[in-house]
Amino acid sequence: MDDSRPLFIQIAERIENDIVDGVLEEHAQIPSTNELAAFYRINPATALKGVNQLVETGIVAKRRGIGMFVTDGARAQLIERRQADFADRYIRPLIIEAEKLGIGPDQLAALVRSERIES
Amino acid sequence: MTTTIDRPIAHTATRARAHDIWRIVRLHALKPSVFAGVPLTILGGAWAVSLIVGVILRQAGGVGDIDGMRYSWAVLSPQWYLAVVGVQVVGLTFSFALGFGATRRDFWLGSSLVFVLASAAFAVLIATLVQVEIATSGWGLGVHMFDALWYGSDWWLDFYTTFALQCLVLFIGASVTTVYMRWRIRGIVIIAFAAIALVLAAVAIVTGTASWPSVGAWFVGLSIAQVFSLILAVAAFFAVAGYVVIRRATPR
Amino acid sequence: MTDTVVRASGLSKRYGSFTAVDAVDFSLEDGRIYGLLGRNGAGKTTIMQLLTGQIFRSGGQLEVFGHEPAEHADVLRRLCFIAESQRYPDDFTPADALTAAPWFYENWDAGFAQRLVADFRLPLKRRIKKLSRGQLSAVGVIVGLASRAPLTFFDEPYLGLDAVARQIFYDRLLADYAEHPRTIVLSTHLIDEVANLLEHVILIDHGRILLDRDADEVRGSAATVAGPAAAVEEFVADRPVIGRQSLGGLASVTIDGALDRDDRFAAAELGLEIAPVSLQQLIVHLTGHDLTGPTAEEEAA
Repeated sequence: MDDSRPLFIQIAERIENDIVDGVLEEHAQIPSTNELAAFYRINPATALKGVNQLVETGIVAKRRGIGMFVTDGARAQLIERRQADFADRYIRPLIIEAEKLGIGPDQLAALVRSERIES
Repeated sequence: MTTTIDRPIAHTATRARAHDIWRIVRLHALKPSVFAGVPLTILGGAWAVSLIVGVILRQAGGVGDIDGMRYSWAVLSPQWYLAVVGVQVVGLTFSFALGFGATRRDFWLGSSLVFVLASAAFAVLIATLVQVEIATSGWGLGVHMFDALWYGSDWWLDFYTTFALQCLVLFIGASVTTVYMRWRIRGIVIIAFAAIALVLAAVAIVTGTASWPSVGAWFVGLSIAQVFSLILAVAAFFAVAGYVVIRRATPR
Repeated sequence: MTDTVVRASGLSKRYGSFTAVDAVDFSLEDGRIYGLLGRNGAGKTTIMQLLTGQIFRSGGQLEVFGHEPAEHADVLRRLCFIAESQRYPDDFTPADALTAAPWFYENWDAGFAQRLVADFRLPLKRRIKKLSRGQLSAVGVIVGLASRAPLTFFDEPYLGLDAVARQIFYDRLLADYAEHPRTIVLSTHLIDEVANLLEHVILIDHGRILLDRDADEVRGSAATVAGPAAAVEEFVADRPVIGRQSLGGLASVTIDGALDRDDRFAAAELGLEIAPVSLQQLIVHLTGHDLTGPTAEEEAA
């Protein structure tokens, strides 16, 4: 948990991460609000708000009396959204830092390529 | 949409009220040493000392009844301690009871009930011990601890006088402390000066009208029972005054 | 639909010429955890004493469960407020306090109290006046939790508790609150530890309310911008500044108001670093002496 953003957003993101990483598979039940609250040591209302955000975006759905489950296609939806965000979240900061250091576009591309090969 | 919660409570108000007052009694009874253990120990200690004095006087050559011990005041020895109990009840238990959600009203009514019950129990004990002392001719030593001062003429009178005195001591201690809880040290100072001023004014009026002889005659003319009825009336005054003051008192 | 448990308007408490609570307006909704935050002497305890009928208001209106709380038995039986400075009868032990508690709290859970006694390793038979500060706090925490009162106050509950005991308190509080939702008010000046537990914060300073907002709105509502002084000043020019520090040609300025993604790029392009501001840091800025004037009189409370 960090202090820069509302906790409920961070809770939603952690669950999304688990879905993208495959820790939570589609149709799997996600932890209950109280379990999330106890685990992250946060207010249960905050945890509920985080889960509700996932419901609104269709990532999880409620099965009455049982709990919350990851929906069909949730992972694909999340990956699509993250790809759209990728440039803003990773590329722009990278370019700003590169410009500060005088690294041109070609050099940057070469660096990315070599990083790729080494790993 | 917002509404104010005002759920009705389950039980009837009267039953709840009796329960609310009784729990204050139980609160005081939680530490039996305060109202029973310590005063009984003081009384027992005074009794032991009285017996030792009796033995010493006997060995010094005295025989028969030791009449001088009628003025030892040993029978009243727990009174000073009980005045302190009155102070502590309001000084500490009041804060605790209020912290636990009791009302000032219920606290004072419950505490008053404890004072009356404790006074009655003590009065029974003392009046009975007076009779025991008489029956055993001063514990076989001619000692007068209980059969002393005004005591010894009648069980009921001994009961009544002890009860009145006991109530007075407890209610004075408690009600003076309510003044502190409400107005702090300034209140105590004002009350003390007011009391002194009242006494001085009374003295001045009596002196000014040259009526000391008639006051003296009135007082001498009172029976023991009448004197202690006055004391009980003063105790009742302090009980009522304490109730009025504590209703707006705030714990520290 | 929410139920309002407490409604205060223009609520004031004066002691002679000193105003401890200065015409505050706020309300508490049923089933939420509130943080009553502020520096020592800000007026937190006075507000709780007013809400629990321990002291009498000097002005304004106050309703708790629909009634003036002072001397109202039906209101008081739903409250639990173990003050940080709570007094106990002479010679009382924690065992005595726990024996008396169910007479006063109708929802009292004796089994829960026993588990908490074990958790906090509280010596039940030691006289309360001989307890350490932490053990004394534990008595208040145990009574507060096990009372399950519909409106429970915790007044600086962690004083003297070690890190383990504090964590136990937070964990038990969350778990029990989840099972038995009720309105809880945590009064504290150590904010970081409890920040994540709170749903709503009310910040008090000099007897006034500085902030009355959902915790999630507060989180991320301020940021610190650091970098070359000229660039920082350019960036914060038309933003509300709540804190300012400088070191040579460098400046670090805290601004009130969330930064969106474009703001962050703009800052990055100016070569500025942006750091989040924790609730505690925000409150230090809001109640710090650099902005609110001299604080000497605060200790008078």
